[in-house]
Amino acid sequence: MAAHTTKICLSLGRINGPGFGQYASLNRATYATALSTSNFTGNKGGPDRGGRGAFVRRPRREPGEPRTEKMDSQQDWSAVYPSAASFRPGSVPLPVRMGYPVKGGVPSEKRGNLELIKIPNFLHLTPAAIKKHCEALKPFCTEWPAGLDSDGDLDKHLPIQIETTDYVSAGPSVRNPAARVVTLRVRLSSLNLDEHAREKMLKLLGDRYCKDTDILTITTDSCPLKQQNTDYAMYLLTVLYHEAWKTEAWESEMTRADRREYIWEDSASQQNVLDTLARMATPVPGEGVGEGVGEGEAPPREVLLARPEVQQYRDSVTRLKNEGESEGATLRYREAVKKLLSL
Amino acid sequence: MALQRVSFRLRQTVACARSIHTSGCRHLQEALAVEPERNPEPFSIFRTQESDPACQLENHVGQYYTLPPAHIQTVFPHGLPARFQLQMKTFNEGCVMVRPPALEVISYLKRADYSKPALRFLFYGVKGSGKTMSLCHTVHYCSTQGWLVVHIPDAHLWVKNCKELLPSSYNGSRFDQPLQATNWLRNFRVTNEQFLSKIQTRHRYVWTKREFTEEGRPLGELVDQGITRVKSSSDVVGAVIKELRLQSGQPGGCFRMAVAVDGLNALWGRSTIKKEDKSPVSIEELTLMHNLRKLVKNDWCGGAIITALSQTGSLYTPKTAYLPHVLLGEEGFDRMDPFVPVTVSNYSEKEFESCYLYYQDRQWLQHPQSRTEEGKKELVFMSNRNPSALERLCAFL
Repeated sequence: MAAHTTKICLSLGRINGPGFGQYASLNRATYATALSTSNFTGNKGGPDRGGRGAFVRRPRREPGEPRTEKMDSQQDWSAVYPSAASFRPGSVPLPVRMGYPVKGGVPSEKRGNLELIKIPNFLHLTPAAIKKHCEALKPFCTEWPAGLDSDGDLDKHLPIQIETTDYVSAGPSVRNPAARVVTLRVRLSSLNLDEHAREKMLKLLGDRYCKDTDILTITTDSCPLKQQNTDYAMYLLTVLYHEAWKTEAWESEMTRADRREYIWEDSASQQNVLDTLARMATPVPGEGVGEGVGEGEAPPREVLLARPEVQQYRDSVTRLKNEGESEGATLRYREAVKKLLSL
Repeated sequence: MALQRVSFRLRQTVACARSIHTSGCRHLQEALAVEPERNPEPFSIFRTQESDPACQLENHVGQYYTLPPAHIQTVFPHGLPARFQLQMKTFNEGCVMVRPPALEVISYLKRADYSKPALRFLFYGVKGSGKTMSLCHTVHYCSTQGWLVVHIPDAHLWVKNCKELLPSSYNGSRFDQPLQATNWLRNFRVTNEQFLSKIQTRHRYVWTKREFTEEGRPLGELVDQGITRVKSSSDVVGAVIKELRLQSGQPGGCFRMAVAVDGLNALWGRSTIKKEDKSPVSIEELTLMHNLRKLVKNDWCGGAIITALSQTGSLYTPKTAYLPHVLLGEEGFDRMDPFVPVTVSNYSEKEFESCYLYYQDRQWLQHPQSRTEEGKKELVFMSNRNPSALERLCAFL
């Protein structure tokens, strides 16, 4: 009996449908079945049971036209989506299509599209809405400090930058272990270091220092809490600074091989060049040779070292050794040697 | 006489040479059109008649010159690369290509002042680019100019695979390598026959209780002593080097010395020779290497030191290393400083053409497709114009 009524409803639906598509009728069908089952239980124990005649269904109302037709283009969108909500096809006046198309077809339209409903949307965060948020937050903000207008000012007054990340997620727990990582950045030029302290500091830092930007980066994540890690990073900075200024007894045993960079002065290369030039022993006219030097003797060391080709040679060797070897460096060295030996 | 025989054989290949060079290369044909009277080439475009390195100029770049067979025997008893020697045997002639690096060094040698300390040159380049051949070319020049040539064909051979290692009698902490030393002395004698009687020793050398060489004896006697008495040959090598260094720059000196060392990076590398207790021998502990290090220092004058790097025979160096500082190491670079590094690169287009035509002329390229344009492009691609790669490829064709 009930089943019979269902079928009637369905057929009614089909006939009366004012030109809606197949999906509408299907929807209709789902609604219809939902209705029929509830009716069925209602029939069993409902108060209207008394009348043996056909029960009166709640009169069906036609769904009106969707709200999108009535929307003004200059309306206040933050009133339509004041907070995060799922996608409502009747409220969004955009002809959006989503889904994998059938062969020869197009993605399905928005009406009743589950794909559009499933995904998160940001319709509540349009620029206008965000502006409104900002305006609402402004009374709670403090002013940007005067005197901190440019990046230079920032570096001067606030040289240390600490970077932390907070993570927000919905789940059984709000904690995220990645939130404990703290990165501390500071420019070495803002620290007060002399020659020895700078060299020692650079040796201690190793990879943590970037030569191009002169920024020291300390990343700490050994403690479980963010605050502990920031304290640890500040502690490391303090210790580095103070250790760099100290000079230990064993530092006097530093050899040429221990040095960070190659220095040409007092190197084997300098010795070789001086020996070679001394044996070549032709004083260049116009050089300030001291009175103690005779005609056939070699010019003194300082005079030799001040010659432009020796300077060029020194630059080429230093670059070759410090920057690593390459074709260009080798060619530069070659030119310098040719000039030196006057080839 | 040998030259005439060579040219007679070449005449027989004229017919094929002519057909080849009319079918091919625009490059070299233009060169021919430009200077018909400079190089009257009845034979082929890739050869030059100038077999004297002193007279070779920039316009000979890319062309092959023939090494006179007499010179091959005297100047290069041990100097040429092994594959080149095989090629010489196959083609019945030794042809060396004139290339810019060697010409550059020869030009420096022509203009150098020999009262100043010895100039040092170093050929470097990727594997197989022709460093050893450039070195041999320069050695040929020095030899034709009448210099005394001290040619160490491959220093790497002295730091590996040593069958006999004797403790040195002169210095207890060092080791002698009698076989290598004797071999080298023999080849040295062949190369520098004419100087052995002219140079006199300046010191007295005592070899054993009964054997000694007095002052004023000719160098030849010293060398013979080393060859006959194998045990003391390493010390003889040391003595010879010392004498030559002392005497080469002297005002009354009758000779100029050219020191040619191939595989220079062996001097400051590592060795695989082991002592009896399996501990490795350092380079410093080998007499031959110790003396060689003294030789390449520029504290003597009246000559030049021409060297070449080699990764091929070297020990414990990565395959891709070819730059001087990388192969020589810090110590080596500091000791060789200041030197003129000369780069030897792969063949240029002109040189490649020349090599290709030479192989064709010698009937070395048998495969029919290798004679087509396509085949040539394939060879260019496969070998990347690397001389040794090209030679190995063509060996299959």
